Amino acid sequence: MTGMVFVNVVLRYGFNSGLVISEEMSRFFFVWLTFIGAVLAFAENGHLGVETLVRMFGRRGRIICMALTNILILFCVAVLFWGNWQQWPINATMRSPVAGMPLAYVYGVTFFTAVGVGVIAIWRLFKIVTGRTTEAEIAQFVGDYDTIDALVERGE
Amino acid sequence: QISERTLRIANGIAEDHPVGDGVDAMTQCVDERTNGAWTINAFWSSALGDDLQSAQALRSGTLEMVISSSSPLVAIEPALGVFDLPFLISNEEEADALLDGEFGQYISDMMPQHNLVNLAFWENGFRNLSNSLRPVDELEDFEGMRVRVMQNNIFLDTFQTLGANAQPMAFGEVFTALETGAIDAQENPYVTIDTSRFFEVQDYVSNTRHAYTPFMVLISKPIFDTFSAEEQQILQECSIVGRDVQREASRALSDESLQRIKDAGLEVNDISEENMAKIREAVAGVYDRAAESIGADVIERVNAELAAIRGQ
Amino acid sequence: MTLVVFLSSLLGSMAIGAPIAFALMFCGIVLMAYMGMFMPQIVAQNMVDGANSFVLLAIPFFILAGELMNAGGLSKRIIDFAITFVGHLRGGLGFVAIIAALIMAALSGSAAADTAALAAILIPMMSKAGYNVPRSAGLIAAGGIIAPVIPPSIAFIIFGVAANVSITQLFLAGIVPGLMMAVALLATWAFVSRRDGVEILPRVSWAERGRATLRAGWALMMPVIILGGIRFGVFTPTEAGVVAAVYAMFVGLFVYRELKFSELYGVFLRAAKTTSVVLFLVAAALVSAWLITSANIPAEIARILEPVLDNQLLLMVLIMVLVFVVGTALDLTPTILILTPVLMPLVRQAGIDPVYFGVLFIMNNCIGLLTPPVGVVLNVVSGVARVPLGRVITGVTPFLLAHLFVLLLLLLFPQLVMTPLSWMRH
Ligand code: NA
Ligand code: NA
Repeated sequence: MTGMVFVNVVLRYGFNSGLVISEEMSRFFFVWLTFIGAVLAFAENGHLGVETLVRMFGRRGRIICMALTNILILFCVAVLFWGNWQQWPINATMRSPVAGMPLAYVYGVTFFTAVGVGVIAIWRLFKIVTGRTTEAEIAQFVGDYDTIDALVERGE
Repeated sequence: QISERTLRIANGIAEDHPVGDGVDAMTQCVDERTNGAWTINAFWSSALGDDLQSAQALRSGTLEMVISSSSPLVAIEPALGVFDLPFLISNEEEADALLDGEFGQYISDMMPQHNLVNLAFWENGFRNLSNSLRPVDELEDFEGMRVRVMQNNIFLDTFQTLGANAQPMAFGEVFTALETGAIDAQENPYVTIDTSRFFEVQDYVSNTRHAYTPFMVLISKPIFDTFSAEEQQILQECSIVGRDVQREASRALSDESLQRIKDAGLEVNDISEENMAKIREAVAGVYDRAAESIGADVIERVNAELAAIRGQ
Repeated sequence: MTLVVFLSSLLGSMAIGAPIAFALMFCGIVLMAYMGMFMPQIVAQNMVDGANSFVLLAIPFFILAGELMNAGGLSKRIIDFAITFVGHLRGGLGFVAIIAALIMAALSGSAAADTAALAAILIPMMSKAGYNVPRSAGLIAAGGIIAPVIPPSIAFIIFGVAANVSITQLFLAGIVPGLMMAVALLATWAFVSRRDGVEILPRVSWAERGRATLRAGWALMMPVIILGGIRFGVFTPTEAGVVAAVYAMFVGLFVYRELKFSELYGVFLRAAKTTSVVLFLVAAALVSAWLITSANIPAEIARILEPVLDNQLLLMVLIMVLVFVVGTALDLTPTILILTPVLMPLVRQAGIDPVYFGVLFIMNNCIGLLTPPVGVVLNVVSGVARVPLGRVITGVTPFLLAHLFVLLLLLLFPQLVMTPLSWMRH
């Protein structure tokens, strides 16, 4: 993607022509990166949250919040999956204006996100219910970062 | 049978565009005919997403209406590309006759298969070229000019064929790109050049009138289907009331806008009939290449209808 | 009433520790259920539309450029450069921190990354020279938050997209307020450190300064390329990000040779992870923003604020107080994404220039990175400097007040933003 946009700038100024396709394809690539990366970030507890309140609770309170959070997330991704399912026939008949790619390929990435995040949330709920949640997982949930890199990766 | 309803209308353009006058007239008409049972909420400047996103929301029934230029909707119905063909329609009278006549109905009839209902064609208008390099007076003047075009293959092909360096770009980025010189030129109706203040960052406007695009007043079919016959008729008729007000406002404003563009110190030029003939000839190939996506039958039909309108 | 539903679902889900992206999705879903139009497609479509923007593409490139800048040794040379010029002054390393922060701000858009890089190099030096470490840590944190105010800025890009405001104009408008923040820090540091008995670095010769400038030259060229390129239209903000990333990679690999090809993978991976976290948040925010707009919540707030809508200054002060309060509990990106769709219609209705508003809004949000209980820059500096959070908070206080003073000046004298902007436009 870096290459494609860079080449486009060079072409436009060096040769006074551009890759008309680069704008569109870069956007799509970027959408895929975002929605696939979101699953990995969720696996690493990397999404930004406000942990001030949950940190005030003891172990039990923290676990309850963790369970509620995972139920809420499961609900959100279920709605996302369902919405994309309903939207699928519409996206399948639409093509991107320049490259002519079916938009279902672009929007479809949310299936991956919904399923990926959903599976992780179910696994976490399962561990909570069966009492297998580790202290390290609770610490991650309340935002105890072990490295500065983890903080910097929040992108602020 | 009239029920309480709220209709949200998404618009890509700003409220001070003539479409605002049309929506006002339509709202007033609806208000009278339903005795205030309907509320119309218009959202402007892409507050609910751009035209294509809104049209998609209509198709899934999550939004009631959108007033969209035909061009972005080509992604949904390729035949709408017919309005993007260069130099198809020559004047407003032709446009009205074509869109309000059989051909307009033919196009409207294509929309229900996409879960959309077209209530009326309003006016976006003739598109003209503005730039910061030179007056465009003949074919050679297009050479190498960095022109922003919509993300649309027909415009892309037209300007590439004319020798320009066509750059597809989202509308929201155009002002800045012109201001900073990342592109030299853009093409839009006078009203847009005026209301989007492109005249602040451009030096020349050429009266190219290279395409006439309509606005389509679309409603979500799944929602429209829940309307009673009487309600459907009210909305249909009020969109026509809105259309007449909108077109009149559009034409009056187009003249005013042109005057403001001139007052802002821009050099405005017409193109001689002789030079225009060469330009038209140069883009003839666009029709053949576009036939594949638009459909040869659609192009044949519009040409036949236009010939009839022109009395040939 | 819709406002109450919106706020309680959003704040409630954030309170139990849900990541903000999912809290925003959830509050969007609750809003649509409340409005009697529970339609999952709204969520699916807006999520993708939210991330599908060429302008937002600038973000990964600026994140990548910042990562490459630190890994490639550009930050180190910028600090060395500052040391040769002001290191010999009383309190010199503090001035070095501010000047280096300012230069790095013109290369990178991330406050946390700049703070981490500065603290890692400067805190050990300052500690050894006898500086008050918590205060030094506070200074570096306060210097780090200049990064999102001076272009390039991820925060301006997100605001520009959310508010539909020209990013180039925001970029240009941020320059003077960013410089003012640096000046305010210089003055405050000179005042609070005036009695410190610290070891002072020897004054270096002009020849040495010249050599340091040359060594840092490749790094110092970068802001010129980025800002000049945007100002004179060589490239759009998105393309500027690409050019910055390619340039930083080239300098790190081939000129300074501190960046190894083997490290590139890690740098790209970290930048990709950060990008997806930020952009997923942007995507989720579009779901709630669409429903906030569709439910006419801004109109509801406008009714409440009716009496002050015709007084621009009073409205701005009210909004700035609100942003400051929200900023104590929320960091930069989430505050922008949550407040922009709510506030922007009010700002436009009151006739306030959106670019002016954007600059103050972002600056105020950056200050939020320094305020407890939630301030990611405080956590970064506390971690790198190994100073407990409480003592960093004490250390940062004078500098926080300095930034607030600048904000107050900009509120009272909008021409401080608008006049330089009008020069730069032409
Ligand atoms: Na910056
Ligand atoms: Na804070």
